[in-house]
Amino acid sequence: MTNATIQEIEGIDDYWGPAFRSVYEGEGGHEAFLQQLDERIKQHDKEIEKLCNFYYQGFIESIRELLEVRSHAEELHAEISNVDANVKETTDGLCVRSEELIRARRVELNIASTIEKMELCLPLLTTYSKLKSQVEAKRYYPALKTLEQLEHVLLPRVGPYAWCSHISSDIPKLRQAIQDASMADLRDFLENIRRLSPQVGAVALKQTQEMLGRSLENIIKNKKDMATLGPSSVETNTPQSPHELVDFSPLYRCLHIHTVLGAKHDFVQYYRSQRRQQARLVVIPAAGNLHDSIQSMKSYLNAVLGFFILEEHLLTTGAGLVSSDWLGETWGSARSAAAGTLRTHTALVTDPTLMLSIKHQIVLFINALKCYGLPTEPLPQLLQEMAEHYTEVLMQRWVAVFRDILDNATFRPIEVENQEQYDAVMDTFPYDGDELETQAFPRKFPFSSVVPAVYVQVKEFMYAWLKYSSGLGLGGGGRAAAARHSTSLLLTRSFTGCLSALFRRALPLTQLVQIILDTQYLESATPYLYEFISNITGSELVTAQPAGSMFQTARDDAEKQICENLQHKVDEFLDLENYDWLLVEPSGQASSFVTDMLGYLTGVLTSLEQLPRRAREAAVTAAVKRIACRLRALLLEGDVRAVSAGALHQLDLDVIQCEQFAASDPLPGLRDQLLEHFASLRQLLDLITSWDWSSYLHDIGMEGAKYALVSPREAATLLEKLREAEQKSSVFSVLKKNERDRRKLLDTVLKQLKQLQNQDG
Amino acid sequence: MAKTYDYLFKLLLIGDSGVGKTSILFRFSEDAFNISFISTIGIDFKIRTIDLDGKKVKLQIWDTAGQERFRTITTAYYRGSMGIMLVYDVTNEKSFENIKNWIRNIEENASADVEKMILGNKCDLDSKRQVSKERGEQLAVEYQIKFVETSAKDSLNVEYAFYTLARDIKAKMEKKQEASNPPGARGGTHQLKSNDQQRKPPSWLSRCSIL
Repeated sequence: MTNATIQEIEGIDDYWGPAFRSVYEGEGGHEAFLQQLDERIKQHDKEIEKLCNFYYQGFIESIRELLEVRSHAEELHAEISNVDANVKETTDGLCVRSEELIRARRVELNIASTIEKMELCLPLLTTYSKLKSQVEAKRYYPALKTLEQLEHVLLPRVGPYAWCSHISSDIPKLRQAIQDASMADLRDFLENIRRLSPQVGAVALKQTQEMLGRSLENIIKNKKDMATLGPSSVETNTPQSPHELVDFSPLYRCLHIHTVLGAKHDFVQYYRSQRRQQARLVVIPAAGNLHDSIQSMKSYLNAVLGFFILEEHLLTTGAGLVSSDWLGETWGSARSAAAGTLRTHTALVTDPTLMLSIKHQIVLFINALKCYGLPTEPLPQLLQEMAEHYTEVLMQRWVAVFRDILDNATFRPIEVENQEQYDAVMDTFPYDGDELETQAFPRKFPFSSVVPAVYVQVKEFMYAWLKYSSGLGLGGGGRAAAARHSTSLLLTRSFTGCLSALFRRALPLTQLVQIILDTQYLESATPYLYEFISNITGSELVTAQPAGSMFQTARDDAEKQICENLQHKVDEFLDLENYDWLLVEPSGQASSFVTDMLGYLTGVLTSLEQLPRRAREAAVTAAVKRIACRLRALLLEGDVRAVSAGALHQLDLDVIQCEQFAASDPLPGLRDQLLEHFASLRQLLDLITSWDWSSYLHDIGMEGAKYALVSPREAATLLEKLREAEQKSSVFSVLKKNERDRRKLLDTVLKQLKQLQNQDG
Repeated sequence: MAKTYDYLFKLLLIGDSGVGKTSILFRFSEDAFNISFISTIGIDFKIRTIDLDGKKVKLQIWDTAGQERFRTITTAYYRGSMGIMLVYDVTNEKSFENIKNWIRNIEENASADVEKMILGNKCDLDSKRQVSKERGEQLAVEYQIKFVETSAKDSLNVEYAFYTLARDIKAKMEKKQEASNPPGARGGTHQLKSNDQQRKPPSWLSRCSIL
């Protein structure tokens, strides 16, 4: 039993319950068991001891061996770490290298691909730079072509790079720039032709002039010149056509560019509007005052002509840039504007020479236009108008000449001392000097120096006038007629005007007389002037002309002045009158102022002898009429209150003197007419002095009455004055009977006269 | 009735052609001058009224042609003149020498008591002078005639000359009037007319004048 239990316990690992029971319930109980256990333990200890003894040696040996291993291991360890360090060291360098290699490989790859890409881009870039340089060199048309290539071929081929997009965004800008630049070129061109067109016009005008001057002789002469000078000198750089002066290439280029850009229509529109504006400008004279010098007029016409010659040239070469409709329209408005300009400016010209040059230029201008097939319409009309203005200008100029002649004229007959002087006058003025020829020197012409001077000036005028009409295509007859018209206009208007101005000053009688004579000689020379005209113009001589009236107004003026002159002198004499109205006894002698006056008049009349009868008649009549009128006024006017019989007789005496003067036939055949002026005064004086009241009152109102010219009022006025004087002088004679009767009669007559007066109203 | 003047004096200008008679007259009557020379033909006259010691004096001044060919016309006017201006040109020796001939002319044709005066005209042209003032004065003293140098152009002494001559005539006339007429009679030149001639056709010889 106890053994068993220990075994059990030893054999069994768990379920130790029954072992425990047996310990408790077993025989010896607990002690036993403890004993057993001790035994057991001793047994085990013994066993262990035995075992340990057995193994001890081995163990020590093992430990020894282990220690040995340990040192070996340590050795190994050191060796291994050594190797490891070595390896580590070598691999580190390797790693670096390999990494470098990897990188280099990658770079190499990149480079290759880049080169590939770059090669694709290269043409694009070269093209682009070509484009740039083309633009720079202003070769816009190739530039445009390059641009096209760039845009449509090269750009799509290259990938979507930023710079590509940059370029492609640049393309429209470039295109615009090209368009702008070509526009700028066009503007330059327009400016250029504006500058050149006067030269073009000048060349054209020159050629026209040469063409007009072309005649057989000239051609032969030129050929000869050419032969002598050699052909080289002739064919030097003179352009064959005027338009060759202008380089049209910018225009054509521009046109091409715009055609390529698809903007041809716009371009044509632009060009036309620009040119139209230019046309508008060109007809406005640049110099401002065309009438100042022929140079400005020339350049004006050159500009206009050049402008349209160029347009006309473009009509044929400009590929539709200029249409004939457009040209026609533009030229139409331009020429009317130009004609207007010319009209206004020429109207201001006051220099005939300038007028002539202008006219010459316009004629050339018209001819040149015809050569280029451009219509000339308002211009020939303008030339006609200018002709009128020219005549006006000339007349104005000659007014000054005439005025000068007249201002410096002495109005005395020309006297020549010798043959030379005589011939000088005869050369300048057509005068039939047969009578004068035989006289001894000094000879005296009947006219003053004004006549030849004016005659010469009229000829000068005609020369000047005809200068204008040459080259206008008028026939000789037409020219001559117009020249005659202008000449007579000059004489009747300008010269007569100058004469009239002359008459505004008070002129001495002798001058007036000479003026009248001079005008007659001038008139008589008119046929010679006409002959002169027909000689110059080569037309037939026209003789019919109412020449006599040409200076009639001037002569009338002169005659009027003569009359006024005489009347004024008569007035001066009569102002010297100093009648004593209460004179008792007449002196039996005419008053001195009357004899002075009549003597003076006789003298004057002899100096008027050269005048036409009409003028002399007028002069004498005017003087006599004034005398009669003044004498009558002396008697009848209110200034004199009382008139004595003696004074009346004195006046009667003076009137008789005057009547004698009239009756002495100062102008043969005028006697009765002159006496007529004194008739009423005479009748009045007769009536009073003969106291013939009965027949006056009886005959009154009857035809052919003796005192028919005496009105009752006048008779009464004078009678009253007589009565006044008698009352003053003969206070004491009232007592005499016959005096009383006379006074009574006087009163009765006065009463009757008053009645008659009242009847007449 | 009031007269427009108190005295009427007839004056005459004589002298060689071109000495300036017409210019002197023009200066006196119009107070103007005209450079251009227009020789007088025959005879002409101008009238100017001047005031002399409160009297209105009308001067009728006859301007004669200096040229020889008009001599017959002009001498006819001598007789009626009350005063005569003898004009010479200080720049023209000949015209001065001719003054003596003119004086002889006066003596032959004019009334004996006619007032005379010598004028040396154009004294403005000093550079061209040929006749000195002293010679003029000398001549005047010789003939006992008043003398003055004038310039029609510069209006020098022209007025003075006419006034002096007119004043002398007036003085002489008044003296004569006092001698012949008792005071109170009407004054006036027409009283001096001679009455011994019959009425004739007008001629200068028949003119009423002081004898």
